[in-house]
Amino acid sequence: MSSRERAVSAGRGTTEHSPARSWRWSVSDIVVASVLAVASGVIFWGWNLSYHLIGNLFVFYPPVETLVHGMWLFPAVLGALVIRKPGAAIYCEMVAAAVSALLGSQWGLTVLSSGFMQGLGAELIFLAVAYRRFSLEFAMLAGAASGLTGGITYHWIVPMYAYAPAETIIHIASFALSGAIIAGLLPWFATRGLAAASVLGPLASRRAHREPRLSLGRSRG
Amino acid sequence: MDDRSGPEESGADLDEPRLTRRGRGVAVTAQGWSWTHAERERPAVQGLDLQIIPGEKVLLAGPSGAGKSTLLHALAAVLHDDEAEVHGQLLLDGVAPDHARGRAGLMQQDPESQVVLSRIGDDVAFAAENLSVPREQIWTRVSAALTDVGLEGFSLDHPSAQLSGGQKQRLALAGILAMRPGLLLLDEPTANLDPEGLWQVRDAVLAAAEATGATVIVVEHRLEVWAEHMDTLLVLETGGGIRRRSPATDVFTDAGLRAELGGMGLWVPGRDPLQELPPWRPGSPGSPGDDATAGAEGGSDAAPQAEPLLLAEGLAVGRHSPKAGWRRAAPAPPTLTDLHLMIRRGQTLGITGANGAGKSTLLLTLAGLLPAHAGGVSATAALTGGGGGGERLSRDPHEWRSADLVARIGMVFQEPEHQFVRSTVREELALGAEQARIPGSADPLFSEQQVEARVSRLLDRLGLAELAEANPFTLSGGEKRRLSVGTVLSAGPEVLMLDEPTFGQDARTFAELISLLREHLDSGGTVLAVTHDAGFLRALDAQELQIQAAERPAPDTADESQAPGGPLFGAARSPSWLGRRNALAKLIAVFLITAALVMTIDAVSSGVVILASFALLPLAGIRPAGFLRRIWPFAAGAVVAAWGTAIAAEESGRVVADLGFTTISEGSIALGLALGARAFAIVLPSVIVFSTTDPTDLADSLAQQLRLPARFVLGALAAMRLLGLLAEHWTTIGHARRARGVGAHGGFAARMRSTASQAFGLLVQAIRMATRLAVTMESRGFGAGPRSWARPSRFSPADLPVILGGAAIGALAVSAAILSGAWNLVWT
Repeated sequence: MSSRERAVSAGRGTTEHSPARSWRWSVSDIVVASVLAVASGVIFWGWNLSYHLIGNLFVFYPPVETLVHGMWLFPAVLGALVIRKPGAAIYCEMVAAAVSALLGSQWGLTVLSSGFMQGLGAELIFLAVAYRRFSLEFAMLAGAASGLTGGITYHWIVPMYAYAPAETIIHIASFALSGAIIAGLLPWFATRGLAAASVLGPLASRRAHREPRLSLGRSRG
Repeated sequence: MDDRSGPEESGADLDEPRLTRRGRGVAVTAQGWSWTHAERERPAVQGLDLQIIPGEKVLLAGPSGAGKSTLLHALAAVLHDDEAEVHGQLLLDGVAPDHARGRAGLMQQDPESQVVLSRIGDDVAFAAENLSVPREQIWTRVSAALTDVGLEGFSLDHPSAQLSGGQKQRLALAGILAMRPGLLLLDEPTANLDPEGLWQVRDAVLAAAEATGATVIVVEHRLEVWAEHMDTLLVLETGGGIRRRSPATDVFTDAGLRAELGGMGLWVPGRDPLQELPPWRPGSPGSPGDDATAGAEGGSDAAPQAEPLLLAEGLAVGRHSPKAGWRRAAPAPPTLTDLHLMIRRGQTLGITGANGAGKSTLLLTLAGLLPAHAGGVSATAALTGGGGGGERLSRDPHEWRSADLVARIGMVFQEPEHQFVRSTVREELALGAEQARIPGSADPLFSEQQVEARVSRLLDRLGLAELAEANPFTLSGGEKRRLSVGTVLSAGPEVLMLDEPTFGQDARTFAELISLLREHLDSGGTVLAVTHDAGFLRALDAQELQIQAAERPAPDTADESQAPGGPLFGAARSPSWLGRRNALAKLIAVFLITAALVMTIDAVSSGVVILASFALLPLAGIRPAGFLRRIWPFAAGAVVAAWGTAIAAEESGRVVADLGFTTISEGSIALGLALGARAFAIVLPSVIVFSTTDPTDLADSLAQQLRLPARFVLGALAAMRLLGLLAEHWTTIGHARRARGVGAHGGFAARMRSTASQAFGLLVQAIRMATRLAVTMESRGFGAGPRSWARPSRFSPADLPVILGGAAIGALAVSAAILSGAWNLVWT
C-alpha cells in the first residue's frame, strides 16, 4: 500500500466507525435495493433460459457445472456492497429469486429457499465484520460463502442432486469459487464504478471508489 | 375473492363539494438556513432567509448550482444525509418539513419516475394510503384528484405505462393532490414534455393551486411557461442567499433583470438565446445552400448540385425486426411504412410528428442501428468513400462494422448518458477517433497524433478542458449534452443525427448546441434531427419532414403480453376463475404442492402433479398449446438434469456404460429419471399460478395478510414497474454502443467485456431511476409510519377450494408414491 493510500485509509477510519450512520433502511435504500433485485431477477430469468444450453457444456462432467452458478449469487453481494445495511444480501437475493419464479423458473418455488440460503451466506460474512468492511477480500469471501450455503441447499436442504461424495465436494467447491469471482469480484468492481459515476449519492456506499481496495494491512497504516 | 369493489363502487358516487377541500396554503419560512452535502466543501444553500406567505405563487430561478433543487427537496422532506451539515431553520407553517409530511407535494422532471404503481387509480391512492387516510375516503379523493387534473376520462384500472409524458405528470399531480397538500413544489415539471403536454400540465397545476389555495414554488428553465401566472420571482444567488425578489411580471418588463436571467442560461420570454452567437447564414462554404430540399416523398425536386448521401426506398421501420422474431408468434407490424427519402450533403432536416409516430425509430434505422423492417436504406459512394477503401463497404449502413459507422454517421442520443462508455471525458472524446477504421481493414483511420490533436481541439471547443479527467457521469446536464455531441464529432462523421437534442436543455446549452451544429454544417456536414422544437428548426434553417404513423389497430395488448415478463407485469388482471382468487391462497396452494415434491425423489409423485397441472388449465384460462409453448424449455432442462445425475450419482445396480472417469449404472439412470421428472413437475404449478396473478394483488396479499414489511413489499412492487423501462434502456444503450464504435463483436472475450460494460451502463440508469423514484415515493408520504390500504386483501369462501386443491394434489402425489413403493424421502 502506498503512503498516500495509507493516509487515506487512516483518515477514513474515523468516519467509517462513526456511530452516526443509521442501520435503519431509508426509502432510497429500499427502492434502490428493490430495483437492483428486480433487475437481477430478470437477468436470472434470461440466464435460466440460457442455462438450458450452457448447462449442456458440462455434460462431460456435471459436477463442475457450478463453475458458472455464481451468476445466481451476484445480487446478494451487489446489494450488500451498495446498500451496506443488515439484510441487504438476503433481501436482494430473495427478491431476485422471487421475480425469476414469477417470470417462470425451472425450479419453481424452490428458488425461494435457495435464494434465502444463498443470501444468508453472503450476509453472514458482512455481519461478521459488523457491516463495516466492504473491501475486495470481503466481497469475494461473501461470494464464496454464498456459493457454500447455496451448495449446502442443493444437496441437503432441498436436494436437487444425488451425487457421490467426491462429486458432491467438487460440486460445492466449484460453486464457492464461482461465487467468489462472478458474485464477489464483479459486484465489487461494479460498485466502485457506480460510486465513481456518483450515482450512489443518497447511499452509504457513495464513497466506495475512494476506499482502499483491501482492508488487510489497514491496521499497519 | 379479493374485495375489489373499492375503486369501482365508491369511486363514482361521492364528489365532495370543492369548497370544503379548499385548505389553507402553507407559509414557508427560512432563517439562516444552510445545507452542505457530506461530499462537498461548499454548501448547496447558505444563509437563506425567506418568507413565502400562504397561497403565494413563486417562480424560483437562479444559476445552475444555486441550490434550487436542494431547497425544494428539503421542503418536501426528502433530503436525507446522515453526514450533511445543516444550519438555521426551514419551516412549513412553523414546523420542520419532517413533521409536516403530506403538507408538501413534489413533482420532478422525469415523468417515468413520477409513477409508482401500474394502474392509475392505485397510483393516485398510494399517497393517501401512506398518510393513513381511511379506506372509504381514499377512493373519493382519487376520483376527485383525477378530475382535477383532467384524467377523469380514464378508468381507474388504466395502465399508467400507457399514458403520455404529459399525462404521467398530471397523474403525478393527482397523486400529490390526493394528499390535500398546502404546498406544491415543482422541479422543472415540464422540461421533458412536448409542447402539447407542457401546457396541459401547466394549466392543471394552476387550476389545482386555484382550487386548493395551495402555495406554489416552481423551478423551470422556460420562464415564459409560468411567469405571467406567478406572483413572485425569486432569484437565488450561487453560494447562498437571495439575489433578488420581485413581482414575477418584471420578467417581461425589467431589461436589467431580463439580461441577468438570460446570463444564467434561462429562457427569458421574447429573448433570443442565439443573439450572442455570430451571425450565421445557412449554406455557407461547402454546402449547396438555401435551395436544397428535403427530398421527402420522392425527392424529385431536390437541388441538382447537392450530392445524395443516403437513400431510403419503400422503407418501413419498426422497433422489432421481423427477422428477430424467434420468440414471437407473429412479427410486430412496422411503425412507419413506404417512406422515400433522399438525404443530401449539407442538408439540415428536422423530422417532426406526433409522439409515438416512429420518428426515433426512423432515425435509428437511417443511422444503421436498426435493420429496416422492409425496403432499405442505402448509402451512396459519396458517403461510403470517406476515409478511403469505401468501395469495400456494403450499401446498407446496418451491415457496416461499427468502426466504419462512426466515421460516417454519428448518432447523438436523447439521453447523453446512454452514450458514455469510458471513465473520463478525455477518453470519451478519444474513443470515436480511435475506433474509426479504414473500411475493410483493421487499420486505424487516424494516427495516434491525429487522435490526440482531435481530442484537444474538441476539449477546447466544448469548454471541457478543465474537466478532461472528470468522470462523464458526474458532469452537469449542459456539459453532458456538449460531451455527447463531441464524442460523435471525434470520428469526423459526415452525417450527424440527433434525437431530441434540445429536450430539457437550458437556453445556454441550446445556444452552444446550435453553434456546434452550425460549425458542422459550415464545414460541409449534414444534420438530421428528430425534434419537437420549432426554435431548433429555425436556428438551423432546417427543412421539416413531418411524419405520420402507419395506420394500424390501436396499441394491441398482444404485443405487450409477448414482452419479457409476459402478462405478469402488465396491468391487466386474468379474468379466469383462478385469476380472480386471492393471491396468497394461490401461493399457499403452490407451496403445498412444491413441498410434497421436494420431500421425495420419485417419478410417481411427479407424474401425479404433472397430470393435475394439465387438468387445471381450464380453470386458469390457459390454452394447452400456449402452455406447451411456455413450458417446453423446462422439459429440455429436465432432460439435462436427468443426464447429470445419471453420470454423477453413485454407482448402483448393473453398470450400463463406463466412461472412464465415471460410470452410468441402472440405479443412477433411475435416479436421474426421477430427478428430471421432479424438476419438470415443480415448475408447472408455479407457471400456472403466476401467470394468473397480478403483482399488485400479490403485494397487497403479502403485506396485509402475510404481514411482510410493507415498505419492502411496496418497494419491490414499485421496482417491478420499472422493468419495462430497464428493457428499453438496455436496447438503447446497445444501439448507442454500436454508434460509438464499441458494439458487441469480435471473439468471446471481447463480447463478454462488451456485455459487462453494457450491463454497467444499465446499472447506472437503474440506480438513477431508483433514486428518483424513491424521492417520488417519499414525497408522497411513503415510509413514514402506519398506512392504510385502498385495496383490502382477505380470504373469501371461494379461496378455500384453491388451498384445499393444492393440499389435495400434494396429498395425492405423496400417497400415490407411497402406495406404489416409489417413495424415496430425500433427507435420509
